[in-house]
Amino acid sequence: MPTTASRLLLLLPTRTYRTEAFIAAATRLGVELVCASERPSTLEELSPNSLVTLDFADPYGSAETIVRFARSRPIDAVVGVDDLTTVTAAAISQRLGLKANALPAVTTARDKHAMRRCLAEAGVPVPRFQLVELSDDPARAAQKVEYPCVLKPLMLSASRGVIRANDPREFVAAFERIAAILAEPDAARRALLVEEFVPGREIALEGLLVGGSLHVLAIFDKPDPLDGPFFEETIYVTPSRLPAATQARVVAVTRDACSALGLTEGPIHAELRVNERGPFVLEVAARSIGGLCARTLTFGTGLSLEDLILCHALGRPLESLERERRAAGVMMIPIPRAGCLVSVSGVEEARAVGAVEDVVITMHPGQEVIPLPEGWQYLGFIFARAETPAAVEGALREAHARLRFDIA
Amino acid sequence: MNEELKTRVQELIDTMINPAVAGHGGFVELIDVQDNRVYLQMGGGCQGCGAADITLKSGIERLIKEEIPEVAEVLDTTDHASGQNPYYTPGKA
Repeated sequence: MPTTASRLLLLLPTRTYRTEAFIAAATRLGVELVCASERPSTLEELSPNSLVTLDFADPYGSAETIVRFARSRPIDAVVGVDDLTTVTAAAISQRLGLKANALPAVTTARDKHAMRRCLAEAGVPVPRFQLVELSDDPARAAQKVEYPCVLKPLMLSASRGVIRANDPREFVAAFERIAAILAEPDAARRALLVEEFVPGREIALEGLLVGGSLHVLAIFDKPDPLDGPFFEETIYVTPSRLPAATQARVVAVTRDACSALGLTEGPIHAELRVNERGPFVLEVAARSIGGLCARTLTFGTGLSLEDLILCHALGRPLESLERERRAAGVMMIPIPRAGCLVSVSGVEEARAVGAVEDVVITMHPGQEVIPLPEGWQYLGFIFARAETPAAVEGALREAHARLRFDIA
Repeated sequence: MNEELKTRVQELIDTMINPAVAGHGGFVELIDVQDNRVYLQMGGGCQGCGAADITLKSGIERLIKEEIPEVAEVLDTTDHASGQNPYYTPGKA
């Protein structure tokens, strides 16, 4: 690994799952880190050279702050780790003259309606869609859509606020439920995307853009049906079991989507639906896979996804973009009902399942747990690796069955 | 040597680090110093906190290395999974 001293600005929301993995990668690579969060670190006054507070909702103001910071402490690269930070990362990179995605491209990708419109205009297959303002009359809006449809906020992630409606009555109920979520002070723009429900299998593509070329790092199958009313993601398994020709179509469509959006550098996480009509792009985000799911990915001689992202951002050589040969997968442990998490048992029994590598519980006893569509957290994650995708999926399901969550 | 380092690190924790992390209900405990490596445990609001790694690597380690250049590395031995009251619980941002 090269160890040339470089200073990298990492944009880390205080609640992201991604902190540990990115900081570990930076440590391995010998990178000097500056960590920026939207809330001040308790140690910021003592470590002003490595801890910064930025308002991620104000990309231009954040860029100005970092321009001033960088006058005495030059920044070589900027990486945003989650949806909340992608636009700010692009704005800072632009002001510092660093190689990165263009700000308009990332801004378009961040807004589900702007993204859909851009992709549709470019001929990329997407579900039929329309924008509905929360100030609109839901009963009237319900008369103007085709059913079944899916209502979703423009900027939330993790399927938060995504609800299927099969008729006008369900539409109005979903509209009101999402409106309540978007009324929260930290929620995104007060409008909804209403789109055609596309039946079929859902997959995710993890990629790295280098100079405008898309390198596919992994295609994940999501074997649990995602037909609504909520769209809770659970299992991801790679490699995909879809036919090679279908996977090739998925890659081609994702490449077209990146090109249409103008994304050229860094990680992308794409979500697609595949049916007999072909693949449909649900979204392309200018970031890597969320949660702890990146732990499933290992490249070359053991590089992590975060190693690749940081090396690419710093312009260092990429040793390998080849994922390991074995199948791998993760289960994002869903929250079965609302309440207070009292205790978790069966973790060691779950870890004992063959092919299971680890079980990580990320919520703590005493914490309020909120299921979808309002929730935005998982109980934890189960990781497995085996010779075949089927073996991985089976191990994840068996391990999950051994876990018991006491929710009062 | 280790004892002397340990004393200096402990002083830094007592006078600078713990008063700061107390703002989030956290505390840091020195476990040991071996071969210029400092082993710490985090407790209270720091244990299980989504931002604990930022605090450790960009805050505590930087501070200790600046004040005590002989220190090569600061390592976290905390069982974060057992944190009862983390200041920031992680989620999808």
